[in-house]
Amino acid sequence: MLEWVALKIGELALRLKASLITLRGIRDFIDDYPIDEILLKAIKGEEGVYPFGELASYGAAMLGAPINRRGYPRFLTIDDLILVPPAFTPRRLEKMAELLREPVFTDVNLEDDVGGLKSSMPLVVASMGSTDIASRYSIAIAKAAAKEGIPFGIGENVHTVRGYDRRLTRGHPSFKERVMAYLTNMDKYGGVFIQQNVEDAYDEHWNKVYSDKDLEPYIDEGRVAFEIKIGQGAKPGLGGVIKMRREDAVKVREKYHFLEDPLKTDRKTVERYSAPGTYTADILRGMIRLMRTSYPRVKIWVKVGPFRDVLDVIKVAYEEGANAVIIDGKEGGTGMAPSIAMKELGYPTIVGLIKIREARLMGIDDRMSLMIAGRLFNGAHIAKSRALGASAVYAGRPFVVAAMVKGEAGVRNLIRATRVETQMIVSALGKYNIRDVSQEDVASLNKDLATALGIPYVYSREF
Amino acid sequence: MGHGNMGKVNPAVLEFETMVKDKESYVKFIEEWVKHSWRWAKENKYTTVFKIQASILRAIREYLDSQGFVEALPPIIGPVTDPGIRGAKQATIDFYGHEYKVMSSAILYKQYMAAVLGKVYFVSPNIRLEPNDSVFTGRHLVEFFQVDLEILNGTLDDAMKVAEGLFTYVAKYIKDVHGKDLEKMGRSLPDYKPPFLRYTHAEAVELVNMLGCRNPQNTEILWECEKVLSAYHDTPIFIYQYPKGSRGFYNREDPGKPGYLRDFDMLYPEGFGEAISGGEREYEPVKVIARIRESGEDPNKYRWLLEMLKDFYPLKTAGFGIGVERFTRFICGLRAVWEARPYPKVAGIGPAP
Repeated sequence: MLEWVALKIGELALRLKASLITLRGIRDFIDDYPIDEILLKAIKGEEGVYPFGELASYGAAMLGAPINRRGYPRFLTIDDLILVPPAFTPRRLEKMAELLREPVFTDVNLEDDVGGLKSSMPLVVASMGSTDIASRYSIAIAKAAAKEGIPFGIGENVHTVRGYDRRLTRGHPSFKERVMAYLTNMDKYGGVFIQQNVEDAYDEHWNKVYSDKDLEPYIDEGRVAFEIKIGQGAKPGLGGVIKMRREDAVKVREKYHFLEDPLKTDRKTVERYSAPGTYTADILRGMIRLMRTSYPRVKIWVKVGPFRDVLDVIKVAYEEGANAVIIDGKEGGTGMAPSIAMKELGYPTIVGLIKIREARLMGIDDRMSLMIAGRLFNGAHIAKSRALGASAVYAGRPFVVAAMVKGEAGVRNLIRATRVETQMIVSALGKYNIRDVSQEDVASLNKDLATALGIPYVYSREF
Repeated sequence: MGHGNMGKVNPAVLEFETMVKDKESYVKFIEEWVKHSWRWAKENKYTTVFKIQASILRAIREYLDSQGFVEALPPIIGPVTDPGIRGAKQATIDFYGHEYKVMSSAILYKQYMAAVLGKVYFVSPNIRLEPNDSVFTGRHLVEFFQVDLEILNGTLDDAMKVAEGLFTYVAKYIKDVHGKDLEKMGRSLPDYKPPFLRYTHAEAVELVNMLGCRNPQNTEILWECEKVLSAYHDTPIFIYQYPKGSRGFYNREDPGKPGYLRDFDMLYPEGFGEAISGGEREYEPVKVIARIRESGEDPNKYRWLLEMLKDFYPLKTAGFGIGVERFTRFICGLRAVWEARPYPKVAGIGPAP
């Protein structure tokens, strides 16, 4: 009898555990992603830059730099770098001469050219695709990004899966709805960049966009870019995966690879795999040339995963006159990727930053933007990236989290908070234009990183 | 021979340029032109144009037949068509559950028929859903015809020689048969004597840059610069050896000069711009596959072509296409291609006959 009870309890415990495992995706995300920080900003806006809650507010809180970190990271991140403000600030003096008063952080100018698009700050909303989550919040994010004047991306498969102008799936906006939600809310800053994968190419996505009358005025104004995707951080070398309803799958069975023939299976959903797309230096070169010929009025961006030969990609892109290359590090977000891919494939974001620094030293000048992506979300990340040669931070998940908690307003709050944060940091560095932030403003807590980036190691005499 | 005075642009081309300066009123004009085309089609000028057009086609057939070419029926639809067209969309139809394309050019089928017949040509209807801004070029119609020819085991030089011969024959034929008509339209054509000047793409870019039109290296000659180049000459000219990547995947890379293609364009003089596009075709399946990837596409889409290239290996051909409306525009000295065709279809303007 006692054994029976013990057995039942054991079974119950296992079942409970089993049911919790099915929640894993979201639990891992909440545990491991700086969700508190983003939520606070999404809810409170600019005020969210201070670590105040409802109880400990200004004057009542006791604050100080935290020295512990949760868990122990497997690899180095951008948080292993710190920003090092100086006491003597000749640039602040210059700014004071210009303003005829003491400058403050709101005087910091963050606007810059990002991949041929004018942006209110060096932050870009990554091109997110057709997955449920990206699709569901895309309109709120589009509007917020447009109103805040930062470039906004539309990922692959949106056209093919969700429809070009007519909705193909209930509850999900079509490509055209997404792009117009952005463009019609844009003021003097911003622009949209659009991906096309192998399957979208089948539907001539870029051709359709390029001759779409509603988009034409924006193309003429130079507010549109096309983004070539050569892999992504979370699964470099692998193509996209999505679950489709069988009847939808039947319609597109000639364009995609299915593990099971949708005509023959009796399952309700089938997994659809898209090809990663084959590239060589010659293919990329040819592709950029072809695009410059076919679409002379759009900018050309190239997004690349954490590949070992990323410098070769940058070189080809630069030589052919592309406007931007984005390196997406292994921490980069995704709607769906095999666990083993996220764990084992590709290098961390910080290595992408090392590559960018190398590219700049190699002579890739600012005619081409170099952006960094992968778990970057705050003003410090922007300042550090800029200091090391990146033109902007390219982020996706923070905007989705903000949209989930507070819709369009949440996304705008997050962007504003990040803007204020960046302005504070830049002004602390004694500078008043984001373009002036440079390598002298960063140092490393880690020796290897210091060597790789050619910046001082903090715990040493050279610093 | 060759260089005329700089900027010797035909008055009809100049008139067109003046028209498009005021974009708004031009668009209004062109809408009326297209939507009520029967009203002008009956005018003397245009009945003459259509008769000359018929003579141009007759002359083309006479010449090609005399050179041993066989006319074959062109395809109208197929699972794939020519993707090597600057930013224009393809028209799609549902073919019993498969997506088929209306031919944007018969290029892939020319290779097929050259393998079958040796020297072959089509008088081929094409559909290209051109970008909206093509309204302002005067050189783009959505629905047009081209004479598309292909030579089995032909070379770049063979194709260029046929192009010269064809152009010269037709121009002389029209002068002989329609001399009075041309005179009435105020058009005079000189006696053209081949061979025509040949520039490499790099030389052409250098020349247009010298003439004050900024054209980046390694890209197609921009429409604007092409016109400058065309206006600089009073006989047709050739531009060959385009950099790889600026053209469709079927253009063959020069094995002796990697990064450059064995292809060419022929431009009309007097600012009329591009007449002919052609060259040798890539026939190594692996190379064709890599080139298809440049347009971001899955080679699987072109499976029949790839299988055919393997079956007929090595399928070496060369050829070119010449647009009938552009040819007519040039011969008659018209403002734009929308005068060189009944019921013209112009990008973005419809519905119209």
